Amino acid sequence: MLSRRAAVVFGVADLLTGALVLFGVFVALPARWAPVDVPAAVLGAIEIAAGGALLARTPWAEKLARATSAVALALGLFVVSLLAVTASWLSGVYGPVGAGGAIILVLVAAMTLPYLVVLPVVQLVWLRPRAATPGAVVEE
Amino acid sequence: MAPRALAYVLAAWALATALACVLVRHAFALDLDAARPGVVVASAWRGGELVARAVLPHPGDRDTAFDAVASGPGVTRVEERVVGEGPVVAWPEAALSLSFVPGREGLVARLDGRTAYVTPDELFSMQAYDHGIAVPSMQLSAGLDLPFAYARAAERLGVTVPELRARASLRRFQVERVVVAPAPAPPRAITPDALDLADVRAGAIGMGRYLARGVDDAGRFRYLVNATTNQTLPGYDWPRHAGATYFVAQIAALTGDADVRFAALRAAGQLRDHAMIACGDRRCIGEAGASEADLGSTALAVLAFVEIARTHLDDGYALVVPQLTDFIRSQQRPDGELMHVYDRRERHPIDVQLLYYSGEAAFALARAHGLGGDPRDLDAATRALAHLAGPAWSFFGSRYYWGEEHWTCQAMDELWGRAPAATLDGALDFCLGWQAYGRQLMYGPGDTPFDADGAYGAGPVFTPHLTPAGSRAEAGIATLEAARRAGRPAAQTAVLEGQMRRSLAMLLRHQLGADRAYLFADPVAVEGAMPGSDVDWQLRIDYAQHTGSALLRWLALVPPS
Repeated sequence: MLSRRAAVVFGVADLLTGALVLFGVFVALPARWAPVDVPAAVLGAIEIAAGGALLARTPWAEKLARATSAVALALGLFVVSLLAVTASWLSGVYGPVGAGGAIILVLVAAMTLPYLVVLPVVQLVWLRPRAATPGAVVEE
Repeated sequence: MAPRALAYVLAAWALATALACVLVRHAFALDLDAARPGVVVASAWRGGELVARAVLPHPGDRDTAFDAVASGPGVTRVEERVVGEGPVVAWPEAALSLSFVPGREGLVARLDGRTAYVTPDELFSMQAYDHGIAVPSMQLSAGLDLPFAYARAAERLGVTVPELRARASLRRFQVERVVVAPAPAPPRAITPDALDLADVRAGAIGMGRYLARGVDDAGRFRYLVNATTNQTLPGYDWPRHAGATYFVAQIAALTGDADVRFAALRAAGQLRDHAMIACGDRRCIGEAGASEADLGSTALAVLAFVEIARTHLDDGYALVVPQLTDFIRSQQRPDGELMHVYDRRERHPIDVQLLYYSGEAAFALARAHGLGGDPRDLDAATRALAHLAGPAWSFFGSRYYWGEEHWTCQAMDELWGRAPAATLDGALDFCLGWQAYGRQLMYGPGDTPFDADGAYGAGPVFTPHLTPAGSRAEAGIATLEAARRAGRPAAQTAVLEGQMRRSLAMLLRHQLGADRAYLFADPVAVEGAMPGSDVDWQLRIDYAQHTGSALLRWLALVPPS
């Protein structure tokens, strides 16, 4: 079972990520568009649910957190790929994208990576199912 | 998932993404070959309208029917030689709209063995560039206005727009444009290093004459004009009216041109006789029936009136200036900041701050002091400048983010030698910092597909707007002059001078002239005007004013030898 410290760290991280996704899409973006809004709403909801479950130490918290991490990672990789391909497309159409354009794209990718790629990877590795070790001590 | 498996997944993802990037870039980049153009789209233009069109398979081919029209009187024959063609992203519409480099590329549609070219000149003529996607909150728009392009392509193919969208293959193409007849004068190369003062003077006078031609009998400007159709569009604004009057008065004084002089006096008369209203016991500029009046209108009217009196177009305006500066001073707070709105019903200032107005007020008070010598104006201008260059922009991160300070820095230059040295030194540092910040954001050669060396922008899909370069050049040249007077190091002033040369050369290259006259319904009416951008040919009066005033400052800075 997950240690209390790890549950708190991942729980808080998931809650923050969920809030950030919802804020970023539904407050910061100026228009509504279903292909972005629906995945963001789903991801925000399950991140918050997983965070709450980890903090509450429910029996199904780890399973939900793993599933949420998998969804977040899939979406994160897709978003980063989309940004990279978009930058390549812009570069193909317009030629030089200029320092300003490059900086904007890099910043957007940099904002996405920690929450939707790095955190889910760490969580998937940390929360992976392990075979029970005889005599193992669970930290409380 | 085991860590090793996860690592494999991530590595595969990174590789796939990198490969996709390379393939996408390769697929969408045009393979340009100007030396061996493909088809030639020949167009005949008269009065800004396309009167004949022929698609010639090879350069040098002829089309008898087209030639008959193109050789008629008043017709300009233009060839747009296709030097590259490539795919577009057909969905979503936003991506399709952004698939065309503004001003450089057109749409080609193919259906059932027929081909229709909608060329860049046609898209210019329809003003279809940069009107595809609007971001109102950022006052930005970008992309091709697809309905215009669809309609033209469908008409050529003899189908409906829905059929075109459902069945046609759409691609983009880039052209090299050649005006065949009448042969145009060879364009003059205006570069930062070869910024000829005669070109600068001619550019400023052209802008002044353009504005003067638009002043009607009542003294109102053609505020916003569509250059291609020469239609006046709705909208009006007193601060910009006053700013344009100031610039036209400067040009009248420079040239002695009677038409320009009377235009300046009519525009000033409109302000004095129809826009001067009561703000409590004082006089300000605004709308007679309005419950509020803003500070900016009055401040810029002071600039206009001072210029008219100073240059003796009409000395009588010197008597009006003190009435307005009295109002401006009454809006000043003890800390030097100004309150930007006056409530005419409740008879008190409203302490809100809007963009530009404090700088405009400081500059207006400084100019008024230069004319009338009222020490209260000097004191108020000095306190406003000290506040603007000091506490008003002093916060954590203020070196990474700046407002628009073009009036502030002109006020600093105007007050040189009259305000306390410490205030001026601080303001000069502030203005040099602002210009250095701008230099970092400025496009260099090759940074964008546009002729934008010396312009400011936000990425490749947004065509750089020209007015920010004009207004920042006004302030930059004022800052350069002050820096030289202050004995700042030559290395510091040389960098700023280079920055100003780049902006001025770029602005002059964009001034409307003979090179695209065939696309205008009335080329004479818009000659000398400044467009909004490389592709936005809506002409607002402040576009010419800011750039024109910058050019005049350059003439004053570098007197002819």
